[in-house]
Amino acid sequence: MKIALFSDIHANLPALEAFFSDVELQKPDAIYCLGDLVGYNIWPNEVIDAVRKRGIPCIAGNYDFGIGRHSDDCGCAYKTDEEKALGKISIAYTNEVVKDEQRAYLRTLPANIRLEFQLNNDKLNVLFVHGSPRKINEYLFEDRDEKSMLRIMEGADADVMCFGHTHQPYHRILPTEITAETHYRHAINIGSVGKPKDKDPRGGYVLLHIDENSSIKDKASIKVEFIRFDYDIEKAAKAVEDSPLPNEYADMLRNG
Amino acid sequence: MKIALFSDIHANLPAFEAFLADLDNRKPDAVYCLGDMIGYNIWPNEIINEISRRGIASLAGNHDQKTKGYAYELVSAENRNYLTTLPAHIKLEFQLNNDHLNLVLAHGSTRSIDEYVLEDLDETYVRDMMIEANADILCVGHSHKPYSRIIKSDGKIYRAINIGSIGKPKDGNPKGCYVILTINENSSAMTEDNVQVEFIRFEYDVERAAKAIEESPLPDELADRLRKAF
Repeated sequence: MKIALFSDIHANLPALEAFFSDVELQKPDAIYCLGDLVGYNIWPNEVIDAVRKRGIPCIAGNYDFGIGRHSDDCGCAYKTDEEKALGKISIAYTNEVVKDEQRAYLRTLPANIRLEFQLNNDKLNVLFVHGSPRKINEYLFEDRDEKSMLRIMEGADADVMCFGHTHQPYHRILPTEITAETHYRHAINIGSVGKPKDKDPRGGYVLLHIDENSSIKDKASIKVEFIRFDYDIEKAAKAVEDSPLPNEYADMLRNG
Repeated sequence: MKIALFSDIHANLPAFEAFLADLDNRKPDAVYCLGDMIGYNIWPNEIINEISRRGIASLAGNHDQKTKGYAYELVSAENRNYLTTLPAHIKLEFQLNNDHLNLVLAHGSTRSIDEYVLEDLDETYVRDMMIEANADILCVGHSHKPYSRIIKSDGKIYRAINIGSIGKPKDGNPKGCYVILTINENSSAMTEDNVQVEFIRFEYDVERAAKAIEESPLPDELADRLRKAF
């Protein structure tokens, strides 16, 4: 079973359309969206409608949570005063353009989705969250302390945990010794379709491969493929520049 | 949020095609399949191909695990691979009104892939199973007999739903059946309101599906069952 996972589109319709074209070629068996459909660009309604039209199961991201409740807080951890000022413009703009029906959709998105596999007479739990199982806007970066990461996953009963939010893709395998046997948990950040932050401006998503031998006891039995795809970055950047949104967001798209 | 739930297609392509046409008109926000794509008719590969082409999130049913017998041996190697790696349950956790609302999807029950959770099953038994699975709303298939029931216990509402069958109804109504579950911003495990369960029945070419059985090595009795829905 090949599962496609994507997130953090952030109202970038050219990137989303390019993602759909690319993922179609990969022929996944199932597709899930891990949230943050809106914010930072001009197409929040179009992005929401494209995901809904396909009936893709989707969880709420922190930006979706904020806009769904007409809040002026997107739960984004802006560091500097400048970032905060720019962020304020984006959330005010997004609140203004998102329509009632699309807002209601954002508001009723689930917080997480869990798939319980039973393979080889053993269970394998795959958990999809936006930030972390504890908090929709918690950043789980690649350099997070291994013990802390394991605690989070054990607390959520997740053998494989997939999330977005940081826009920086990675796959970490976390071994634990359980009664003379090593178990391997997988923490997977799936990157971002419409606002990458890892210096590669192309969009990114993940293909998760589960086969009949997939097990927490064999670390190579769960495979993760990171896909990058080109899209019309200039179109997305120009849309930002031609809108009330800060031009800084256009440059971020160009530079990844 | 409008969630479409369907299951028990049982290799019935005419029913599945009619279902898809009906589904596309209703524009749900998300779609899940609760298993039993194969068995009892001649089109298992066509069903699986379309479900995976659409990327529909699916569960394994008990028939999806069967490999012996004509109906099951029609399944291609690639599709067999797909069936053997389907998950057993899907759980969605909503956080509305600062509260949790857990929706659990299973084929038979959360305890077993081939357990029948019928409408008259003992209330305490169903409640305990739902507590064990951390389910406020439990949706299952398998029995091909649709219902929605509410069990009240300790001020909480436990809602058990059987979503019926696309391709082999057994409730005396030969039309195909699926469910649209609507969750709104006030949906809660504490009240009966604000969760809407709609049973959709749709016509399909029953004769075409029944004739396909009669012209195949499958027992003719299965064709009669489609015509009379038992």
